[in-house]
Parts: sequence; structure tokens; C-alpha cells
Amino acid sequence: MMKLKNILANFKKQFSSISKHPYFGFIVLGLVFLFALLLRNMGLLTISVINTFTLVMIYSVVAMGFSLLLGFGGLASLGTAGLVGLGSFIMGYMHGKAGISFTATIAIAIGVALVVGLLVGFISLRIEGMYLAIITLGLGEMLRQFFISYDTFTGGFTGTSLRSFKIFGKLFESGNANYFNTVYIIVIICFILAMVATINIIKSPTGRALLSMKNSESAAQSMGISIIKYRLLAFVLSSVFAVLGGALYILHTKFSYPPQWNLSYSLDILAAVIVGGAQSIYGIIIGVFLIFGLKVSVLNYIPFFSNNPALIVIFNGVLIVLVVMFYPGGLIRLLQTSWYKLKIKLAKLKMKWRTYRYGKDDQ
Amino acid sequence: MAKMINNLLIKVYQRILIHIEDKAKFKKDYAEVVIARRKSRTEKRVDNLKENLNKEILAKALKYGIQNDLTETFINEKIKKTEERFYWKKRALKASFSRELEKAQDKTILENEFNEKSLILDNELNQEINDLRTRYANTLDNQEQYSLEVKTIENKTAEKIKKIERKSVDNLEDYQEKTDNKLKRLEKQAALFRDKLFSLADQTNIKDYGLEEGVILKLDNLTMRFGGLVAVDHLSFDVKEGEIFGLIGPNGAGKTTVFNCITKFYKPSEGKMYFRKNKIDTVFLNDYKVHQIIKQGIVRTFQNVELIWELSVIDNLLVAAHTLFKTGFFGQLLHTRKLHQEELVLRKKAENVLLKMGLYAYKDSYPLGLPYGILKKIELARTLMVEPKMIILDEPAAGLNDAETLELAKIIKMIRDEEKVTIFLVEHDMGLVMDICDTVCAISFGKKLAIGTPKEIQENKLVRDAYLGEE
Repeated sequence: MMKLKNILANFKKQFSSISKHPYFGFIVLGLVFLFALLLRNMGLLTISVINTFTLVMIYSVVAMGFSLLLGFGGLASLGTAGLVGLGSFIMGYMHGKAGISFTATIAIAIGVALVVGLLVGFISLRIEGMYLAIITLGLGEMLRQFFISYDTFTGGFTGTSLRSFKIFGKLFESGNANYFNTVYIIVIICFILAMVATINIIKSPTGRALLSMKNSESAAQSMGISIIKYRLLAFVLSSVFAVLGGALYILHTKFSYPPQWNLSYSLDILAAVIVGGAQSIYGIIIGVFLIFGLKVSVLNYIPFFSNNPALIVIFNGVLIVLVVMFYPGGLIRLLQTSWYKLKIKLAKLKMKWRTYRYGKDDQ
Repeated sequence: MAKMINNLLIKVYQRILIHIEDKAKFKKDYAEVVIARRKSRTEKRVDNLKENLNKEILAKALKYGIQNDLTETFINEKIKKTEERFYWKKRALKASFSRELEKAQDKTILENEFNEKSLILDNELNQEINDLRTRYANTLDNQEQYSLEVKTIENKTAEKIKKIERKSVDNLEDYQEKTDNKLKRLEKQAALFRDKLFSLADQTNIKDYGLEEGVILKLDNLTMRFGGLVAVDHLSFDVKEGEIFGLIGPNGAGKTTVFNCITKFYKPSEGKMYFRKNKIDTVFLNDYKVHQIIKQGIVRTFQNVELIWELSVIDNLLVAAHTLFKTGFFGQLLHTRKLHQEELVLRKKAENVLLKMGLYAYKDSYPLGLPYGILKKIELARTLMVEPKMIILDEPAAGLNDAETLELAKIIKMIRDEEKVTIFLVEHDMGLVMDICDTVCAISFGKKLAIGTPKEIQENKLVRDAYLGEE
């Protein structure tokens, strides 16, 4: 009996130390999403729920890269859409049409992201704040025009569609149930890896260097942090995340259409990061769900919104205004403070009950 | 040609030497951290064992009905617990009674009821205490059996403890020996390169840019122009090693500009700056970029506190240790073991610095909202992370009250004496400057007025005119 107790206590100790590790939460989240797939295959969930989850995960990957840029580096960019589109077209063209292997395509995509990121990074050295946002906006629009006009690569106004993909020597064709499951699992894996990479960067000297660059450039420089290096790094990281997100997007939807990668998509990503909380991974996921997921899973089924789609945009706008006005740290801050307040309230309630039951202390 | 090759060799050897020295230092620091950790772990285990032993002895004593201190305290504790339980019961009773008293019309009945109930409670309490006493007070008093069993248990745990301690000592000795061997090997390598370096340096008369013995920083005709404005005008002076050097002057004299030139925030329009990095290496500061200055051994603070507001105090210190992290970006992305070790060592170092500065209590708090004096101290602590050769303080006493200024003077002196660094400061508070500085240089409109000991400066006519206006 004693031994069993000891073992249990030991296990509890071990578990509490494991559960404090940041990866634990990520893996649990991944398992929850995986469980949703299981439920779907058992027929308990509709396909639209799984679609929402996939989109939330893909856009979260993009948004995490963006948060490294905005929340940590303090640099604004409105060219995200172009990069996500680039990722999707690279996947669609290189793997779908040219027949280059999956891993090689990913490597090429990362290489392209590196080049584009460095380019924007170099531009950012001379320009700051609002002007940087405008320059990146121009870059995004340039990419969109390029997608529209260069139709051998992107298919122009018809867009690119991906019929099948091949990974580790296995071919998955669209329309097959296997295709759907495999893509979902790939997305979950990429999602977890992106979260792990983000937390590792945040909790390392690089993350601190990015934050100090945002807070005080002169202090950062005098502490030996090279502004050039970290600005370039921030842009390269965010573009790599964006391009990978684009590649996942075309795997999931099997289709990418050039005009869809416009300013409003970039703004949505920006809104998601700001609404959720630019410095918290869970905050970003919440933000992405509110901006993208809510539209697909909830608002489209409410007749009030589905009859006038413009209202969804207004809803998002109102949400952003409210969050920025009252919770500049994002909704994650609201959750944290309300959790704290709840704890205090509970303690007070307990105190009240105690005085009722036992009378006041000084009696 | 030969000279060029020699110079190149010197540079290569220096690089290698720095690398080896850094490695040795890291190994040493890490070994300290590991040893402290292992020791505390064994102590914990031993404590646990001892606790368990006491529990077992108590169980045996209770089993054989032995009365000693252990059982006495055990029973007393149990009694105390039951008493407490009854205390709360009584209080609940009293509270409910007083609640009902307000509503009730016939108070005497209620009072009687209350008295009855409390009497019952008292009786119950007494009974329970008696039960406890009789339960443990003895059935069979088997002294022999008891002492026999206790002895065996004690021997067992003593053996266990011995084993653990011996093992940990052996392990630690092993570890110590290993690290010592490694350190010795590294030291040998370092000595080899050092010898080579010195002999080469002797042969080739390396450039020390004509710096005199004991001079650490030399400014030679430093000039800084902003358009038509000449902020610093052909300024030259020497700062000696290990002194506290003060730069004073009226507002707009160009003091902060001088600092910004030395730390390369501004590119000087003219003039040369030399810094003696170590015994054989003197660097030409004009060649370096602003973020490379810290690696040469110069750290600065700012006039208005420049901290990273979104990081806790200890993380702020770790930002200062940025150049001490050797793990590359991909190592950080994968959170390798080396990064973990480095983080441990540097965190320990930051804690030590905070302890020394009396800031340990603020370790995990965020700088936003802390008093201004504390912020200034944090900035000062930040400079100590990299073990610099020279600390540049830009108006350290600005915004501090008298008590804080006195404390600051003490701290600056302590840093100079303990860390053996040179301190170069700009200050408006003449009391502080005259109190702590060894040498003072006065400038006005970017030109040097006088340089000397504080007393000489006080008596200098030019300086007086600059501050008070000409007579």
C-alpha cells in the first residue's frame, strides 16, 4: 500500500515537471487535433470542422513567422500574402507539374524564401515603421501581379491545381480518403514543428536579441547585437514560415488562385497576430481562429452573416478595434487577467463562507 | 614581408588563444554549476532517507508500545489536531447560535441548548483524547525486540547513506579530476600559444600606435562635425589604466558626443582613437563597428536608461551576455545541450552580479515601474556581465537623489577595485566627480580646457570662466 502511494507520488512529481515543459502543451494540442480526425473517421464530426482545424493550423504557421517579425523584431510587413502565394505556387508547379520530389521542392521553397527575405531585409535597413509597411505592401502587390501575368508558372487566372502528391515513394491522389488523412497529419506535424521552432527561437539569445532590437536599438548595439544581422534574420524567418504555410495550403485545398493573395489576406494575418497577442504562441492560434476559423466554421452558418458577407469583415474590424483599445497585449492577456481575477474571486468567496460558518476571527 | 607574415600569425594565434581561454573558462564555470547541483541532490536524498528512518522507528515504537520522545511528540501532535478540530466545531456552533439568537424570541431555551451542545462537544473531545492515550499507551512493552529491530533499521539506513555519500564523493572526484585534466590540457595549449605569441610580439615590435605605458585609451585630435557645427574640436587626451576618469563641461560642451564617437555610434569626422585591449593587442577603434566595440572590452551605459522593458531583469543581463553565447543559430533552433549549459552558466553569473549589486530581489521582476535608482543600477550591473576592460558611464547620477548618489559613488569605486576596470564617466554632479575621480578633463565647446587632478581643475581659471562666465 505504502509503495503504491510512493509510486503514485513519484509519478505525480514527474508528470508535473514534464507538463511544465513548453513542448508538452504543443504535443497535447497536436493530439487533440489528431483525435478530431479519429472522430471524423468515426462519423462524429463533419468535414467542415476538420477543414477549419487544418486552415487554422496552416495560417498559424504563417502567423507565427509573422509574430517573430512584428512581436519580437518590431518590424511591420504587409507582404505576407505574396510569400504565402509564392509557397503555394512553388509547390503546385515544381511538385505538381515539373515532378520534382517533395523534399527537393520544400528545399527550393526555403531557398526562395531565403532570397526574398534577405531582399526585404536589406530594404528594411534604410526604412522604418510605416514606410517599411508600404514598401512591403508594394512587394506583395508586385508578387501578385507576377502570379497573374506569368501564367506558365501559376496558371494565370485559371490558377494552379494540385492533383496528387508523392511522399516517401507513396502516391496520394486527390479524391481519395487517404489523401485527406495524410495531408491532415502532415499539417499537424508541421504545426507542432513550427511551434517548437518558434518557442526555441523566443527562449534563446536570438529571441532576446530581437526583443532588445525592438525596445532600444542603441542598447542592443552597445550590447554587441548587430542590427543588420537580426533584421535580416527576422525577415528570413518570417518568409520561410510563410512559404511553408503556402506549400501546406495548396496540399490542403489542392488549388491556388493568384488574385486571392492580395492585401486583405496580409491584413488578416496582421489582425490575427494583433488580436491574439503578438508574443504568445497560444495567443496567435486564438487570433487565427477568430479571424479565419470563425468565418469558416461559425459565421457562415448564421444567416445574418452568410447573407451579407461584408458583415464578416465589419465583425473582424470591430473585434480589432475593441482588442487594440482595451487589451493591447492581445486576447491572451485578457484570458490571463480573467483567470487571475477568477482565482481572486474564488479566494474571496471561500473567505466569505468561512466567516459565515465560523464567525469572525476576533470573536 | 616577414613582418606581414608575423602580424598575420599573431592575429591567428590570438584568435586561437581567445578560443582556448573561452573554452577553459566555460568548462570551469560549468563544472562549478554541476558540482553544486549534484551536491544539493545528494543532500536531498540523504535527508529523505533520514526522514524515512524516523518514520519507521516511530512505527516500531508504536507497535511495541515503547514510550520515548518520538512517541510522545507523535501523540501530542495527534491530540493537538483533535483539539483543533473541536475548536472549529465549537466556533461553528457559536456562530450558528449567534445567528439564531437574533431571530429567536425565547432566548433562554436557545442558550440552554447551546450550553448543552457545547458540553457534549467538550465531553467528546475529552473522550477522544483519552481514547488516543489509551490506544497508544501501551499494550506490550517489548523493549528487547524493539531495540533489536530499531538497530537493524538504523544500520541499514546508515549503510545506505554511506553508500550514497561515497558514491557521490567518488562521482564528484571523478568529475573534478576529469575537468581538471581537461583544464590542464587546455591551459597547456594556451601556454604554448601564449609563448609563441609573446616571442613573436617581441620580435616584430607590434603596433601599439605609440601608446605610453599604462595608457588604456588615447584620443588623438578627435573632431566631430554636424554640418557646420563643430561639436568636438581637435580633442586629445589619455586615459590611464585602472583610474576613474571624469569628463566635465557645461551643457552642450560635447561630452556625450565624445562617448558616442568612442562607442562608434557616430563616425568621427577626424582624429584617431586607440584602445589597449590587452598586454600585446592595441586596437584602432576607428576600424570597428558599433556592435563590435563590446568585444574589444568597452561597455557603456546611457544618459536616459535604455533597458529592454519587455524582458525581466535577469534576462536583461543575459542580453548583455549576448556575445558570450557561442552556440550558432541552428544550435539555438534545436536547443542543443551546449546552449542549455551556456544558459545555466551565464544565468548563474548574472545571479552573482545581481547579488553583488544588491539587486537579487528584483531578479524576476520587469524593469517597467521600478524606481529610477534601481534602473540605473540594473544598467550598471548589465555592463559587468562581459567582464569589460573599460566602462563608460553617461551621467550615472542624473535623476538620483543625494542618498542614491552617495551609494552610486560607493558602487563605482567598488567596481573599479574589485573588477579592475577603468571607468570613464561624464557627469554634471560636481560633488560626485570631485569625490571619486582620479583625473578630470574639462571641455567647453568641444575644446579641451584643462586636464588634471580634481583639485587642479577646481583651481583652474579657464574652467571657472567656462562655468561661471568671464569676470
